[in-house]
Amino acid sequence: MQGYIYPNEFELQWSLLIVLYPYLTGLVAGAFILASLERVFNVKEVQPTYRLSLLTALAFLLVAPLPLLAHLGHPERSYEIFLTPNTNSAMAMFGFVYAWYLAVVLLLEVWFDYRKDMVLWARESRGVRRWIYYVLTLGATDISEKSLRFDDSAGRWITVIGIPSAFLLHGYVGFIFGSIKANPWWSSVLMPVVFLFSAMVSGIALVLVLYMLTTMFRWRKIDMACLDKLAQFLFYALVVDFSLEALDFIHRLYESEESIEILRQLIESRLFISLIVLQVVMGTVIPLIALALVSPGLKKGGFLRTPPELRQIIYLVAAVFIQIGIFSIRWNVVIGGQLFSKSLRGLTVYKVELLGIEGLAMTIGLLLLPFVILWVLVKLLPPWSDGPEPDTPPASG
Amino acid sequence: MPQQVPRLAAVFAVAVIGLFVARSLLVPDTFGDLGHYRAAAIDTIVAHPKEYAGHQECTMCHRPIAEQRAASNHRGVRCEVCHGPAAAHVANPLEIKPAVPRERDLCVLCHAYSPSRPTGFPQIDSVTHNPRMPCAGCHEPHAPEPPVTPRECSACHGQIANQLAVSHHAELNCGTCHEAPKEHRDNPRAVRPTKPAERSFCGTCHAADARSSERIPRIDLRSHGQPYVCWQCHYPHYPEAR
Ligand code: HEC
Ligand code: HEC
Ligand code: HEC
Ligand code: HEC
Ligand code: HEC
Ligand code: HEC
Ligand code: HEC
Ligand code: HEC
Repeated sequence: MQGYIYPNEFELQWSLLIVLYPYLTGLVAGAFILASLERVFNVKEVQPTYRLSLLTALAFLLVAPLPLLAHLGHPERSYEIFLTPNTNSAMAMFGFVYAWYLAVVLLLEVWFDYRKDMVLWARESRGVRRWIYYVLTLGATDISEKSLRFDDSAGRWITVIGIPSAFLLHGYVGFIFGSIKANPWWSSVLMPVVFLFSAMVSGIALVLVLYMLTTMFRWRKIDMACLDKLAQFLFYALVVDFSLEALDFIHRLYESEESIEILRQLIESRLFISLIVLQVVMGTVIPLIALALVSPGLKKGGFLRTPPELRQIIYLVAAVFIQIGIFSIRWNVVIGGQLFSKSLRGLTVYKVELLGIEGLAMTIGLLLLPFVILWVLVKLLPPWSDGPEPDTPPASG
Repeated sequence: MPQQVPRLAAVFAVAVIGLFVARSLLVPDTFGDLGHYRAAAIDTIVAHPKEYAGHQECTMCHRPIAEQRAASNHRGVRCEVCHGPAAAHVANPLEIKPAVPRERDLCVLCHAYSPSRPTGFPQIDSVTHNPRMPCAGCHEPHAPEPPVTPRECSACHGQIANQLAVSHHAELNCGTCHEAPKEHRDNPRAVRPTKPAERSFCGTCHAADARSSERIPRIDLRSHGQPYVCWQCHYPHYPEAR
């Protein structure tokens, strides 16, 4: 603690879990937007990641509300926001934004995309699995040419609706922060847009990592064209994201409202590591330079010619750095916004608890849970189209 | 019509109808009558039994304590804050007695040190502030007084006093060497006592020609230890020479 703070600012009300929540929804929106690239904009290179992105988005979306439930307590009352909608409260509308996105966008799109396969799997398998697949098809087992064409066009339309919905989902999260006008660190119309682009960055980076890891562990060859394209999109999204953040920052500096002094202190002391070191240097500048140098999408062959193996490693490291950077962004927004006093004259501190419902252990648990769900989803609905797994790893070389 | 449409429509219809059925079953009747809440909640709350009597009630039977408290630093802290809800006691004073909180936990609720308390609010660190004794043993809970600052120098300068007491200077008072204004005790950092500044001060007892007790060891003030002041070599509160 330093300087003067109001009594109710000593303890932070929005804890680590609230950092996690925008991080998770960002991954959902980002992964979905990546999937829609293939679907709507016909970017053929990223096709191998299409289904993986959808399942990733689904797995993370299922976990996204859990931090909120844990933070608020009383999960048994959560259904009430559906029963008595309060249209005056952006937070209370969350249930509907979420339900729309889950039921109307993601589940439908996955369903249309997998329906043919599920019908086939239902026919091939026996026992419980057969029934599971059959129930999942909802009994719609017609896989005639005409019916499949309908699946395809329905899927495309849902994606078209889905893109604004993904924008809505994550823009909404940014909106919640941006609309808190009493807090100079949050209150900014750019907030939803910044959130959105950082969401795309994190989603693409996550799918890139997942794609590389899953391919490697299935002893397949990584499709370099796909990876290069992903890296290229990652680069573009990162450029826009960084520019927006910089715009926001410069705008604040130029406006120089009375809060600027305390925000300066905030950045120089409390947020130095997480904002300057992790977010800007590690999460943005280093990946930007690395991607710009090696990505063959920007200049044929890349500014630096690199063998694919090296490029893979660079992509992987850049994507992991970006994840750390994006998590820091969420931290800086959520925790940073509560570290300074509304009197603009003092800073408090935030100590993360280890156990406890809002603690570090819970956060790590909730961060791992989507991967468990993803694993189950992948077992149930294999997203790969490259034939059965080889029994033995291919001979090296 | 493709087979998918009716199947999906059915699922969504079930969900939407389910929502409306749940709404009609679960949303209380009076919800929304007055605002975004159950209007009947007001009656429910009104129907709760009264547990607090209010401090005015206590005055009738506990006049001395009530008057004491009303004039004290705790005038803003009502009886039932400490003694708990006492409506039942007022109704039946002999049978039902309110709690008498003698544990330290109660006072610490308000007086434990916390940066979020307003500046100047009396606060203590319960771990170091006379632990293992009930607060009421030293502070009258119905009329706590602000602490009086101790008068003796030793209360605050304990270490110096202890050293001095076993030193060759044991017979000297603080006042021999320091002039401490009365205000120093109340506001020690702002009002400072004097400290000896020159060699000649020690010379009043130790110089060869000093008019002091024979027993006091003498030095040649002009040569001994020049050019330093005496307390660069001899700690005045524990002077050593041998
Ligand atoms: C109708 C008279 C009456 C009123 C009103 C009344 N008290 Fe008492 N109170 C008594 C009597 C009588 C005793 C018992 C004295 C004894 O046993 O020595 C008592 C005892 C107590 C005790 C001591 C309990 C104990 O275990 O020793 C407390 C504390 C107390 N009252 C608090 C209150 C408070 C607080 C109120 C106001 C909400 C209140 N009383 C109102 C008559 C009253
Ligand atoms: C700051 C908390 C506090 C407040 C406020 C307070 N009391 Fe007390 N009261 C105590 C404590 C602690 C004791 C026990 C004192 C002791 O053990 O010496 C006590 C003791 C008593 C007793 C005597 C019990 C006994 O056995 O000696 C009575 C009666 C009583 N209080 C009544 C009142 C009434 C009436 C009021 C309001 C006018 C009041 N108190 C306000 C803390 C409080
Ligand atoms: C052994 C007697 C003793 C006990 C027991 C005791 N105190 Fe004190 N208290 C003192 C003295 C003496 C002072 C004044 C000197 C000082 O500040 O240490 C004081 C000062 C205070 C002050 C004023 C501090 C300030 O800066 O204005 C508060 C408040 C206080 N005590 C509360 C408590 C509470 C609460 C408890 C029980 C948890 C308690 N005391 C227990 C003797 C005691
Ligand atoms: C509900 C909160 C509350 C509780 C419980 C409480 N106090 Fe207090 N206390 C106060 C307030 C308020 C003051 C007045 C502060 C002021 O004058 O700024 C005060 C003043 C004091 C003072 C005077 C200190 C000074 O420097 O002015 C002492 C001593 C004290 N309380 C001791 C106690 C003890 C002992 C108990 C437990 C029996 C206790 N308090 C319980 C709120 C409380
Ligand atoms: C209430 C506590 C208290 C009492 C009583 C008290 N002092 Fe102090 N005294 C202090 C504090 C606090 C300081 C400042 C220490 C510091 O700033 O390092 C101080 C400083 C001093 C200094 C050093 C001044 C300086 O400029 O370095 C002297 C000498 C001194 N006190 C002498 C005395 C004498 C003699 C008495 C008895 C008459 C006395 N004090 C009583 C608290 C007290
Ligand atoms: C023999 C004279 C003498 C006596 C008696 C004496 N002092 Fe000092 N005191 C000094 C001198 C000389 C200094 C300056 C030391 C320095 O500046 O290094 C001093 C410094 C101090 C200081 C400043 C802090 C420090 O340790 O340097 C305090 C506090 C103090 N004295 C308190 C006391 C108290 C309390 C007593 C009585 C218990 C006392 N003194 C008795 C001579 C004396
Ligand atoms: C009021 C008289 C007085 C003043 C002033 C005084 N002293 Fe002393 N001093 C004494 C007395 C009495 C003794 C002890 C003689 C004995 O051992 O019987 C003594 C003893 C000493 C000794 C000898 C210790 C030993 O080991 O035998 C030293 C050294 C000393 N004083 C230093 C100082 C210094 C330095 C000052 C100045 C800060 C000072 N005195 C001021 C009275 C005084
Ligand atoms: C440079 C260090 C130094 C300074 C400055 C100094 N002394 Fe000494 N003093 C000593 C030493 C060493 C001794 C012991 C050896 C000796 O007797 O010469 C001593 C011894 C003494 C004795 C004891 C003499 C005896 O016969 O037992 C007294 C009294 C004394 N000093 C007082 C003073 C006084 C008063 C001052 C300031 C005017 C002072 N000293 C300054 C170092 C110093």
